[in-house]
Amino acid sequence: MDFLVSSFASALRLIGSFSPDVFDAVRTSLAVSAGATVFAALLGIPLGLLVGLSDFPLKRMVVTLLNTLMAVPTVVVGLLVYGFLSRQGPLGVLGLLFTPTAIVIGGVLLASPIVANYALASVRGADPRIVPTALTLGAGRFLAVGTLIGEIRFGILAAVIAGFGRVISEVGVAMMLGGNIRGYTRTMTTAIALETSKGEFAFGMALGIVLMMVALIVNLFLNLLQQR
Amino acid sequence: MYRLQSIRKCYGSNVALDIEELTIAEGRLYTLTGANGAGKSTLLSILAFLSPPTSGEIFYAGERVDRKHGPVEEYRRKVTLLHQSPYLFGGSVDDNVAFGLKVRGIRGEERRRRIDEALDVVGLRGFRDRKARELSGGEAQRVAMARALALKPEVLLLDEPLANIDRETTGLFETVIASLPAQGTTVVMTTHDPDHPGRLNGESIYLEGGRHVLRSLR
Repeated sequence: MDFLVSSFASALRLIGSFSPDVFDAVRTSLAVSAGATVFAALLGIPLGLLVGLSDFPLKRMVVTLLNTLMAVPTVVVGLLVYGFLSRQGPLGVLGLLFTPTAIVIGGVLLASPIVANYALASVRGADPRIVPTALTLGAGRFLAVGTLIGEIRFGILAAVIAGFGRVISEVGVAMMLGGNIRGYTRTMTTAIALETSKGEFAFGMALGIVLMMVALIVNLFLNLLQQR
Repeated sequence: MYRLQSIRKCYGSNVALDIEELTIAEGRLYTLTGANGAGKSTLLSILAFLSPPTSGEIFYAGERVDRKHGPVEEYRRKVTLLHQSPYLFGGSVDDNVAFGLKVRGIRGEERRRRIDEALDVVGLRGFRDRKARELSGGEAQRVAMARALALKPEVLLLDEPLANIDRETTGLFETVIASLPAQGTTVVMTTHDPDHPGRLNGESIYLEGGRHVLRSLR
């Protein structure tokens, strides 16, 4: 128990002393997660809306595929992207492996199905009267869909936040595609894994606390928006 | 205002509506009656240009409505449907009543005047800034009515507007609805109350099993 208490105290001291190692990892994590979330939102939201609002053959199969993609292990995504970005891979010439961009690419692949599924669930849960009401008030098809998006905006926002949560909390993609390079591609999660394995438990705990704080702040922000 | 010819609406093998011919004259009030499942809501949806008939032709103000060769938004903006259980958008009462006016490009003082007038008619003066989701059921119905009236539609279609509302709102709505034909608005409303055609000085259209079987003019 003493070990945990003393480690917790050391972790708080590390955070309070603005340790560059801690804050480099925090900065990298936030940057790659934000970047990946933006692209995942740009892909996932239209995809979820499209699947939710249209009827087409194989729709059920597409929904099942989206659900399955949510459960793909991060290391599998890492492996796949590694294959493309490694020197022998088709995109190896771009030299992206072990860069923050590579982590963003992996993060987009991880988060897009989550964003799409949440957006799809929001559309399915939306009041079925929204679109007919907008249409009968004179809106065109695009404005009616825009009105629907406005009405389910908190569901869409929750989709984006869930995508962000997926990217910021994963280890596999960041480790395999970023390479855990100190001050460059070392994220909070890869730093926690590495430092803890080296016996630097307090350092790992400091990053764990920051990670939890980020999750808390993001959810508080969502709650605040919902109350407005 | 409308002429329907050989209109059929099918859902799979189920024929929901099968009307050989129906004419709805401009500036009149019609009550649409019939048992549940008789096709009343289906007919309203077709008249509102929300749902195309499976077959048949619709003429509006003498023009054939052809969905294949042009958008129906132009017609939809002349006609407004008020649902029995209307949906109010998030935001204020003002946002709701302004919605259709914004779509039609009505701005500034004209928009403000129309909103105030419509809210006055339904007895909700001073409700502009109230949150729509915090209104009572009766108030929400009135806002939905104001939202439709503010558009000054050529045709107002009402799906059981007097069901599930309190006595005060019923009296108010009957007065408002009965006054619309004199202002040039054609009204078609579904109802289960056999007294409505008389009380509202309207013509009755009776549907049975999706077919138009009776029409009575008072």
